[in-house]
Amino acid sequence: MEQTKSLKLVPEISDEKLKDLYKQMWLIRYFDEQVDQFFAKGMIHGTTHLAVGQEATAVGACALLSDEDKITSTHRGHGHSIAKGGRVDKMMAELFGRTTGYCKGKGGSMHIADLDKGNLGAMGIVGGGIPLAVGSALTAHMKKLEYVTVCFFGDGASNEGSFHEAVNMASIWDLPVVFFCENNQYGMSGNVKEMTNIENIAERAAAYGIPGVVIDGNNIIEVINATYEATERARRGEGPTLIEAKTYRWKGHSKSDAKKYRTREEEKDWRENRDPIKKFKEELIEAGIVTEEEAEKIKQEAKQDLDDAVQFAQDSPMPTLDDLLTDVYA
Amino acid sequence: MLKEVFMPKLSSTMEVGTLLEWFKAEGDTVDVGEPIFEIMTDKINIEVESYEEGILLKKYYEVDDEIPVNAVVAYIGDKNDVAPETPTAIEAEDETAATADAPEAEIAENAINEESLDTNEKVRATPAARRVARENNTTFNGVQGSGPKGRIHEQDILDAINNKSNKLVTPLAAKIAADQGIDIAEVHGTGSRGKVVKQDILNNQQPQTEVTEEVERIKLKGLRKAVADKMLQNAQSIPHVTLTTDVDMTRAIELRKALLPVIESQTSYRVSYTEIIMKATASTLKQHPRVNASLIGNEIIINKSINLGLAVAVEDGLIVPSVANVDKLGLADLTTVSKELGAKARHNKLTPDEMKGSTFTISNLGMYAIDGFTPIINAPETAILGVGRIVEKAVVVDGSVVVRPIMVLSLSFDHRAIDGAPAAAFLTELKECLENPWALLV
Amino acid sequence: MRELTYLEAVREAMSLEMRKNDDVFLMGEDIGVYGGAFGVTRGMIEEFGPERIRNTPISEAGIAGAAVGSALTGMRPIMELQFSDFITIALDQIVNQAAKLRYMYGGKGKVPMVVRTPSGSGTGAAAQHSQSLEAWVAHIPGLKVVQPSTAYDVKGLLKAAMDDDNPVIFYEHKLLYKTSSEVPEEEYSIPLGKADIKREGTDVTIVASAIMVHKALEAAAELEKEGISVEIVDPRTLVPLDTETIIQSVTKTGRLVVVHEAVKRGGFGGEIASMIAESEAFDYLDAPIKRLGGISAPIPYNPELEKAAVPQVPDIINAVKETLNK
Repeated sequence: MEQTKSLKLVPEISDEKLKDLYKQMWLIRYFDEQVDQFFAKGMIHGTTHLAVGQEATAVGACALLSDEDKITSTHRGHGHSIAKGGRVDKMMAELFGRTTGYCKGKGGSMHIADLDKGNLGAMGIVGGGIPLAVGSALTAHMKKLEYVTVCFFGDGASNEGSFHEAVNMASIWDLPVVFFCENNQYGMSGNVKEMTNIENIAERAAAYGIPGVVIDGNNIIEVINATYEATERARRGEGPTLIEAKTYRWKGHSKSDAKKYRTREEEKDWRENRDPIKKFKEELIEAGIVTEEEAEKIKQEAKQDLDDAVQFAQDSPMPTLDDLLTDVYA
Repeated sequence: MLKEVFMPKLSSTMEVGTLLEWFKAEGDTVDVGEPIFEIMTDKINIEVESYEEGILLKKYYEVDDEIPVNAVVAYIGDKNDVAPETPTAIEAEDETAATADAPEAEIAENAINEESLDTNEKVRATPAARRVARENNTTFNGVQGSGPKGRIHEQDILDAINNKSNKLVTPLAAKIAADQGIDIAEVHGTGSRGKVVKQDILNNQQPQTEVTEEVERIKLKGLRKAVADKMLQNAQSIPHVTLTTDVDMTRAIELRKALLPVIESQTSYRVSYTEIIMKATASTLKQHPRVNASLIGNEIIINKSINLGLAVAVEDGLIVPSVANVDKLGLADLTTVSKELGAKARHNKLTPDEMKGSTFTISNLGMYAIDGFTPIINAPETAILGVGRIVEKAVVVDGSVVVRPIMVLSLSFDHRAIDGAPAAAFLTELKECLENPWALLV
Repeated sequence: MRELTYLEAVREAMSLEMRKNDDVFLMGEDIGVYGGAFGVTRGMIEEFGPERIRNTPISEAGIAGAAVGSALTGMRPIMELQFSDFITIALDQIVNQAAKLRYMYGGKGKVPMVVRTPSGSGTGAAAQHSQSLEAWVAHIPGLKVVQPSTAYDVKGLLKAAMDDDNPVIFYEHKLLYKTSSEVPEEEYSIPLGKADIKREGTDVTIVASAIMVHKALEAAAELEKEGISVEIVDPRTLVPLDTETIIQSVTKTGRLVVVHEAVKRGGFGGEIASMIAESEAFDYLDAPIKRLGGISAPIPYNPELEKAAVPQVPDIINAVKETLNK
């Protein structure tokens, strides 16, 4: 574990696991880039929200979670699903509206859930998942279960009333939940600097009497370390933590976004100088965990997994009208 | 705020108005008092003016449409208002009007039921009544509805069906009726205990009308329809009796000759026999108030005023302006009033007020080669005077045959309100009055 | 049999369930030592403790969301929404999350939660604490909606609601809390979707909900003196709706009056009337359907105005007579 120390990781993580995290990051990037193309070609319909450029937050935050641990996800949730152990073939099938998809073709891009893997699902309502995560944590608390719940949300959601109500409730009841804010700088077109009057969203933690942490969301090591500390604290019954991970979405808000609210220079800076995958690869090579060739091989494996997923999706059956009314009620 | 423009009820008999012309288009600005459209009623043409100011948002009818009284014709509002796709219904007229109109309203409702005899679709009936009719393979023909506005309920049709099944009918009559599609319920039986026999069915058959040549078809609408409806109602619902008498017009002619220049110089109108007959009628009515009566519902109303309706022929119709208080007018004033009203009537310029309130009507066909006829009473009045031509006839005076100008008067009266003897007494006195018209001046 | 008030019946149903099922717990504002705004939970925190009688901050969205999240992860929460008017704040969680998760996840997961909430006017609480908003939630596929009218019904229906694996919105009318009826001591369940004929009759069917059941019963007693026989159907649950019982009754009587306290415009009465118009009972209708509901105005404060804002016994009597052309 010499290498681990050189990566400045707080928890101990095996080389194999680190390589797997690297592959997950590529899976997310390939998945969302592929989805972007499919939309552009009209092969899949509806809408979608891509997390290209934000791979480190999802993968880092979920790196040490077990299948028992829960997450709640957002409209920009493909990365969370993959990071929490979701299968890209079932995800891609869902986007193609097929019965083999995670939601049998009824949920689409915005509602992928995998309860067996602890993914309580993506919520299309901004901030909608935050109180729900508190409920999940309440179950763990009342049933004296060991699991923690990591609640993903964006900078935009931190201005929803549900955020404030939920964080306060989790705080007064010391619930095992981690509020993980992926601050990608924009709520649709709203620049976080225009929509909040504080430097860091994590400062809001003080209002509810819980720790608030600001990290570089494009540095997966920082993400892993911060989430590890927060989950450990939660598991000890000491209550929630608010983590703010600064990151950047390379793509627009959803499929038709002219991105007039930001500059091409800004985008270029994040892509070229702050690419989370590139950064992680350099650190892995520097720590001697992978070679350049091995890294390339992992990347190709991810590409292959994705190609297989697309094939699976395209080969899968469409739902029938008989499925229309099933599962409205349990 | 949306403000409705509705079809005004311009007379007690008006049920529909025919739209003649729109003066405003959708989107036009409308001021209070500005005419929006023109309508024709059973009596007049009139421009309907706006009570509101705003923008004409929506029109619901087109020219030539017949629009029920109180129906919303259009909406006025401001530019932010949105008028509904279909107009909302407006409550009926106020209570006093409704009371006065009660008998007519009933007639109208019956008429609706009669109109809708041929198909069940137009009948106001509940779904349950329709189901029973369907199950019994029958129609609502002749079924009286017990609900509001004659709505037929389940019990009504059940009662009707039971009556029908109770009807006695011979097997042959039943077969002919079935073959010819005749509803036995409609047939009056002449056999023992009212049994329907073959001859009853044959009598009930509709005469076959064979159209073999080109004909012109004129739709009953507008004034024609109003006249038709009213005449049918009055002819069918009033038991008419017509009395006739000859009047020697010698002195009346002398009177007119004497007054003609006087009245003409005063009024620029030429007094006619019509005015002299009106004056004589008013004078005689004063002595016979029972003939100057209205029959409304179960009441005979003896009118204090003597207002004479004057039937005026107009293009494809008949309208009756009313001259008020004829007994109180001198012949000069009477001439002026009746000439002006006649002219207005012929030009469709009468106001609703000018057609209201007559208590007795005079119908003058004296310009034609007509002597006596049977005029139809203008309900709710109870009598009408028909005036024929003045023509020289040989009559016997003091035992010698002489030539005299003779005019026939025909008095139709409503036998529900007036009996034969008082009617005859009135007509006799009117005859005497015209034969000695100088008394009118006294 | 012993009599119990409606309020006590609600409490008893919850207590019986909580004694045997640890997954059931209650969340809401002031439900602890205060005993809830209407006293429904009085004494419960003493028996079940503050973990299971969970007093919350004034955070309706937060409570509702926590209920959804805990239900999705294995608990069976009951949320006491202090006044049904406050559902406005909780609606995102109820409508967009609770009602839809199972469907949009393709049949995975379930949300067994009950939102208990006092509704209705008559307490002088004015416009923001007196509404009857059940039609809102009845409109949302995925939710069930219950409106019990008697102490007996409320206990059995609440048991069924707690047993149900779906989100159930459970309306308790404030003026019914003090009413009482015979209530068995043991647990029993009244299935959701089963209407109750509260009075049998032959001339007119009244479909009445919640407090209007009692007003309809009063009206029926008056009408009986005039020889008019009224049948009163209490649907008890709006979703699922026992259409069969209503259709059967209307087929029998041929006349329908629907009465609820909620504003008539857009109210659930329109749904019942439409359902009948579309059903085989249509052909048995012998008069136009009458709907009675609240006026299209907020509930006013003044007691006389407040009464006039919602249907009262004479209104029901008149409506019945109107359908009979009397």
